[in-house]
Amino acid sequence: MKRLRIRGMLPADGAPGVDTVAAEVDGAPGDVVDGQRRNRRRVHRLRVLTVLPAVVVTLLAVLGPALAPHAAETPIGIPFGDAGTDAWFGTDRLGRDVLSQLLYGGWGLLLLAAVIALAVTALSCVLGAVAALRPRIGTLIERATDFAMLLPAVLGILLVLTSWPDAGAYGLLVVALLFGTPYCARVFAAAAAGVAASGYVEAAQASGETLPHLVFREVIPNLREVITAQLGLRFVAAVYLVSTASFLQLPTTLGASNWAVMVRENSSGMLLNPWAVLAPSLAIAVVAVSVNLAVTAFGRGESR
Amino acid sequence: MIPFARLLVRRIALLIALLATVFVVVDLLPGSTARAVLGRDATPERVAAKERELGLDRPLPERFWSWISGVLTGDFGSTARGRSINELLADKFPPTLLLGGLALVVTVVVSLVLGAWWAARQSLAPGVGVGPGAVTAGVVPARRGADTLRRSTAVIRQSTVRILQPATTVAAAIPEFVVATLLILVFALAAGWLPAVTITDRSGFPASPDMLILPVLALAIPQIGWNTRVVRAALVDAAQAPHVESTVLDGISARTVLVRHVLPFALPTIVASFATTVGMVLGGSLVVETIFNYPGLGAVLAGSVADRDVSVVASVVALSGAVIMCVLAVADGIRAWSLRGHG
Repeated sequence: MKRLRIRGMLPADGAPGVDTVAAEVDGAPGDVVDGQRRNRRRVHRLRVLTVLPAVVVTLLAVLGPALAPHAAETPIGIPFGDAGTDAWFGTDRLGRDVLSQLLYGGWGLLLLAAVIALAVTALSCVLGAVAALRPRIGTLIERATDFAMLLPAVLGILLVLTSWPDAGAYGLLVVALLFGTPYCARVFAAAAAGVAASGYVEAAQASGETLPHLVFREVIPNLREVITAQLGLRFVAAVYLVSTASFLQLPTTLGASNWAVMVRENSSGMLLNPWAVLAPSLAIAVVAVSVNLAVTAFGRGESR
Repeated sequence: MIPFARLLVRRIALLIALLATVFVVVDLLPGSTARAVLGRDATPERVAAKERELGLDRPLPERFWSWISGVLTGDFGSTARGRSINELLADKFPPTLLLGGLALVVTVVVSLVLGAWWAARQSLAPGVGVGPGAVTAGVVPARRGADTLRRSTAVIRQSTVRILQPATTVAAAIPEFVVATLLILVFALAAGWLPAVTITDRSGFPASPDMLILPVLALAIPQIGWNTRVVRAALVDAAQAPHVESTVLDGISARTVLVRHVLPFALPTIVASFATTVGMVLGGSLVVETIFNYPGLGAVLAGSVADRDVSVVASVVALSGAVIMCVLAVADGIRAWSLRGHG
């Protein structure tokens, strides 16, 4: 795999390099090389398979409101009714169709997670590239990471959304940005350091190009692999944050019925109709796991 | 020792910065505690009176000083409803400490064992003296068609990696509440082996030990997934040091090499990762306690969200920040110790 650690990026007395290792953890472990080339084509096909479940669930979530057989909020039977031909997954605690709830309750969650992932990756990418060119910013990122380590993201979101309930989804976005960016920027900074030391960047620097030119034209285009991997990982992290915040009933303006809320509210009837809890749990798990597996699989493909 | 002292000072400075941030968030964001307690339709006079009672009308620096000196001396003040936060924490923190502590112990033990096993299969197996990084980096050409012994070890290594790699990836990706739900469905409802709901005895702790199993697992499984990968990566990284190669060439057994010559160098990274796990476990226990009806801090915090009572949340954040800082300081200490005479 590509070594992301560049000496000199981390201060000699700095914190133990969790994120340097994290960068390796995020990418593919350099595993058995023997016979890998032989399996190249098979691995390539398998890589596409890892992301497929996430794509299917996302498509269903996006098209869901149009596909749902019943309205989201109208009861169609008794609470926690059994699965039948009318309701494939039975009914929830208010007698609403679980399948329809499932189809309605995904897109908001996934959209917010995707926006957070995009925002964190974009900001970190720029910050990381700047840090590679201007070491002082790199030190700043190190400090910010040390700081973010002291406060678990879930507690941070709890703090902000309790003291400012009206912030809603924007508050969640801002907190996720504050907590996700330092770690992510550190990975980018480590990757960009190698690019920044290359001949063409030095040549561009010597010919007096401006910092924005160096960042956007010279460094970032060479970070495509890291961007893809980080986008995937940030999405998994964002799904965790958004669904956990929603599960804790924080005011996230995600609507009354999304997958996380379904899990919480239907857990009282788990014995009567397990599908009401199992289906949304699996939906979240499938998206997160599939994206995470895809990041690992694609990372492996790029390791040569 | 000097760099360690500098690091410690920096950690403490960061903790104070965290406390200041918490204060700013609580105080300067729109949303008044007094109004939240009294309800939306309280008259301005009553809100003002309540603010005076809570001391919110004093100037900002004075309030910050009284809050931060209280936190540093272990006095967290009182909730908006007038209950002492110290009492609340003394009541509810021990069960959470038990749950989180057990989850942390399970995480540390399991991920160290799995990570070491994985790393050993990969880079310290007999006959393979150098780490895989050297092979991919092109230092050592990957030789194919070697003798059958090597091929059979390769098969074992491959199958280990085949199981651990996706398993840790899956475990690390799933939110705690999903893990908890699936555990309840399988072990409590389908199999009927373990209780799904915690019942408290008079002391405020779970009435029987088996009620702890599922919550601890729900907390630990995602953390094990992540930390196993960190342990593996740190060990493989440390295994590439030249002295490790020479010990392997000296014919010392793989286990001795791993424990005596690789682990000390990987330890700082591993301990720092466990330090972040402390924070993740604290955040996750919030969720897990809600699901299992466990009597701890999570229940108090979930209640304070409904009440819009920031003071409790702020105290818990301050407390967990201090705990995490202590663990990070231990990590720094271990790093200073393992690099003694080298840095």
